[in-house]
Amino acid sequence: MSVEQEKTNENNDDIIVIKDLNKWYGEFHVLKDINLRVKKGEKIVICGPSGSGKSTMTRCINRLEEFQRGSLTVNGVEMIEDVKNIEAIRREVGMVFQHFNLFPHLTILENLTLGPIWVQKKPKKEAEATAMKYLERVKIPDQANKFPGQLSGGQQQRVAIARSLCMNPEIMLFDEPTSALDPEMIKEVLDVMIELANEGMTMLCVTHEMGFAKKVADRVIFMDAGEIVEQNTPEEIFNNPQTDRLQLFLSQILDH
Amino acid sequence: MKEFKPLPDQPAPNDTVGPIHWVKDNFFSSAMNTIATLLILALLATVVPPLVDWLLISANWSGTTQDACTKDGACWVFVIAWSKQFFYGSYPTEELWRINLCVLMLIGVIASSQLLNKDWRNKFSIPAFLLLPFVCILILDGSWIGLEYVSTDYWGGFALNVLLAAASIIVAFPLSFVWALGRRSEMPFIKSVSILLIEFFRGVPVLALFFMGSVMLPLFFPEGTNVDKLVRVWIVLTLFMAGYMAEVFRGGFQAVPTGQYEAADSLGLSYWQKTLLIILPQVIKVSMPNILATFVMLFKNTTFLLIIGIFEVLSTTQTALTNSNWLGGHSTEGYLFVAIVFWICCYSMSRISASIERKLDTSHKN
Amino acid sequence: MSEKPQVKSSPSFFNNPRNRSIIYQLLLLFGLGYFFYSIISNTLANMEARGIQSGYDFLFNTAGFDILMSLIPYDATNTYGRTFIVGLLNTVLVSIIGIILSTIVGFIMGVAHFSHNLLIRKLATAYVETFRNIPLLLQIFFWYFAVLAALPSARQSMSLGEVIFLNVRGLYFPGLTPEGGASVVYAAIAAAIIGIFVLKRWAKKRQDDTGQQFPVLWVSLGMLFGLPLLALIVMGFPFAWDIPYLKGFNFRGGVTVIPELMALALALTVYTGAFIAEAVRAGIQAVPHGQTEAARSIGLKEGKIMKLIIVPQAMRVIVPLLNSEYQSLVKNSTLATAIGYPDLFTVFVGTTLNQTGQAIEIVFMTMAVYFVVNMTISFLMNRLNSSVALTER
Ligand SMILES: Nc1ncnc2c1ncn2[C@@H]1O[C@H](COP(=O)(O)OP(=O)(O)OP(=O)(O)O)[C@@H](O)[C@H]1O
Ligand SMILES: [Mg+2]
Repeated sequence: MSVEQEKTNENNDDIIVIKDLNKWYGEFHVLKDINLRVKKGEKIVICGPSGSGKSTMTRCINRLEEFQRGSLTVNGVEMIEDVKNIEAIRREVGMVFQHFNLFPHLTILENLTLGPIWVQKKPKKEAEATAMKYLERVKIPDQANKFPGQLSGGQQQRVAIARSLCMNPEIMLFDEPTSALDPEMIKEVLDVMIELANEGMTMLCVTHEMGFAKKVADRVIFMDAGEIVEQNTPEEIFNNPQTDRLQLFLSQILDH
Repeated sequence: MKEFKPLPDQPAPNDTVGPIHWVKDNFFSSAMNTIATLLILALLATVVPPLVDWLLISANWSGTTQDACTKDGACWVFVIAWSKQFFYGSYPTEELWRINLCVLMLIGVIASSQLLNKDWRNKFSIPAFLLLPFVCILILDGSWIGLEYVSTDYWGGFALNVLLAAASIIVAFPLSFVWALGRRSEMPFIKSVSILLIEFFRGVPVLALFFMGSVMLPLFFPEGTNVDKLVRVWIVLTLFMAGYMAEVFRGGFQAVPTGQYEAADSLGLSYWQKTLLIILPQVIKVSMPNILATFVMLFKNTTFLLIIGIFEVLSTTQTALTNSNWLGGHSTEGYLFVAIVFWICCYSMSRISASIERKLDTSHKN
Repeated sequence: MSEKPQVKSSPSFFNNPRNRSIIYQLLLLFGLGYFFYSIISNTLANMEARGIQSGYDFLFNTAGFDILMSLIPYDATNTYGRTFIVGLLNTVLVSIIGIILSTIVGFIMGVAHFSHNLLIRKLATAYVETFRNIPLLLQIFFWYFAVLAALPSARQSMSLGEVIFLNVRGLYFPGLTPEGGASVVYAAIAAAIIGIFVLKRWAKKRQDDTGQQFPVLWVSLGMLFGLPLLALIVMGFPFAWDIPYLKGFNFRGGVTVIPELMALALALTVYTGAFIAEAVRAGIQAVPHGQTEAARSIGLKEGKIMKLIIVPQAMRVIVPLLNSEYQSLVKNSTLATAIGYPDLFTVFVGTTLNQTGQAIEIVFMTMAVYFVVNMTISFLMNRLNSSVALTER
């Protein structure tokens, strides 16, 4: 079945559909019966204690990790063991990492144009114009010809966001984008993310920035021990936790 | 409020864990891998059995002459008959205890550095290690300490390789440290002389240095001076080693954080106090893996001395192979034996170096 | 204010850092001066006492000895100067062979370390750990005295299709003698090489302008082999095969690789290859896994990730290490002396020095050669380094 055919099969507005997803690292059961539906344009914040499987679940969505059981459909394309499918999905999904992962041997501009030139096969001029547009949106157009090592952490993370945006993704995944940053840089990155959210991007964001969650999230997902324990609107999650586990978690992070 | 009970862990699906999956994952994960696995297995199946047969099963172990080698496997009799020569050269038999004593002392010093605590290691093991080669030279020579004099013409075999390598690195240590300091110096003349020295001894083939030592060095001394051949070799090896180690130390200096220099300055220490007390220990620590690697190179290169006629182990082997009683073509056995001896020494040193490197790596992260 | 501790207005002469530094440097200068003075005067005295000539006139004297192998015409009536050239060319030959082969072996073994196949991984580790921990000279002897010396005699040669022969005297393979029209083939080779450069620039420009990619590698390979092949066919193969044949106790014709060269090249390849494999492994390991993940997440294919992300970053680590390995290889090629391969060392520092006794001049010339060769390698590798380090693709 070709990619195009599969796309038309699903005709609801859920852009990500995860059904009974299970994943093991060797004998270790990391993700247990994960079920999740994400609507187009929805903003989801994922939180939970360390080691609960937040990163692993997020990384399954663009197939940086494989899973053993269950199914995952992204933008109508089902994830199967097929290079073409994986490529199709990765084209729809952008990802921002905790440690930025910029390419140190390329300039900022080259970091941004790499995907458009080699994946989308755009002419260089056009790719550079798009790149500059996104650099302006993350407010660092003047750094275009520097190398990543010459930028501050906050600037690097904004470049990483712009790099993903250059590929015109439908969905953006963020894995603790601010936790490697100094406090004053966190705000500049969050501002960019809030702006992105306001423009209607579908976002899945692993973060412990509760202020951000309250401001933009449509839904907060709380994970522990490889399961989704609770999911609800930010108000409900923060003010009216349903389980003892979430209450304990909230008391711990609010203690700071 | 609900109590959260985690779902029970389920066993992983059968096709992703267990020995069968492990075999599949490691040997047959793709068509290419399957082909590679089969090819390698076929290769091993054709090579290993005859090899084992030759090395062990139909090898000749007992006897004293070539005629004892009747089976068509390896003639280890050759190695056994010559083993004294391989290890001790032609050092007089009744004096061999001296070499054994030196080996024992070496083992003792190495063991002490592992067993003693840090304090005693600094007080005993390190000075002992630094003095050992000189003590051994005195013992082996004998004339200075009232033993029978054994001329260096009789020194040889693997013991000589070890002795020369050890004696060279110990003199090269302070020398290379001074060169490395010189290279960092702000005094232009001192700096350029140091660079020239370092680059010269690193850039010239060590064989050319040996030739310099044997054909040119005699010309440099006043007429009539006769410098022992081994001493000349020792000088050359030391300078060669010093060139390489100076570069290792330079890397070590760069790895010491600048804060350390500033801290030392703020204590009001003089240049030499600062360098010897604060910087040197740290430089040695971070350079240790590379020092060992350089030593392994030096140790392997002691075999090159065969070319200028020093009776180190490889040249003893060549002598044994051309001995008229042993002309049956035992070169494979001979070389294999020497190779194994070197391999054990060099491989263990490279393991030690790797483990120090790992330790350094983690201590830096903390 | 008046209670400020008394500061000496003029520190003692020796405590002034500037003066100190001048004194140290003068001391070193005098020390070195004395050292060289005594060496030179001793040397001159010794040379006079032993009746050793000095100067470079000997280079124009007749050598009077034969050399086992020479890339240029040479016989015993030629000069010592020519022995220098013969030796130099032989050194360059074995170095180039060694560098090319050890690079191939090293890269294969270094990449094999990351194979999904456990057997391949173990094999690569075993190779590296075995051969870099055994002295090179021992390996040369092993290949020369134990392996190559055990090959069959000329009459019982091993052969490949009766055109390539291997025996105790060496490896023989067919040579090509150009006939009329061969120049067309040479021209085709040159055209293919130029064409590849043009193609590369054109493809890059086209991609910049339109975004379309072009399979440069495959088309280049096609051109490199296709054009000369076409020329060969059109010209009706303008070469004559010079196939080695057995005459008496030895082979005639074709190209001969003497066992000394084979043993030396083999040992240098295997030994240096182990070090290069380590360098390659270190280079690849130096690229964090996050780089691959980031590249995957923007949708690059695995091959492109290798080409655009991993290789450029790994090369920054590998190239400086390669530089020093290549230099070691050239220096180690002097071990040729031990088995009599006529490299610069064997011919010049060996025989020529023995016959003329002019140690100073000969050792000086030889060292100068190794310096120049190594500088050249360094220069080329630095060029390569700056090109892999900074260009995008
Ligand atoms: N490559 C791996 N191999 C084996 N176990 C792994 C691997 N990666 C993660 N794990 C384990 O899987 C579990 C979930 O990891 P994951 O990184 O998803 O947690 P997380 O919720 O993102 O935690 P954190 O907040 O610390 O980032 C952890 O217990 C971790 O130890
Ligand atoms: Mg995580």
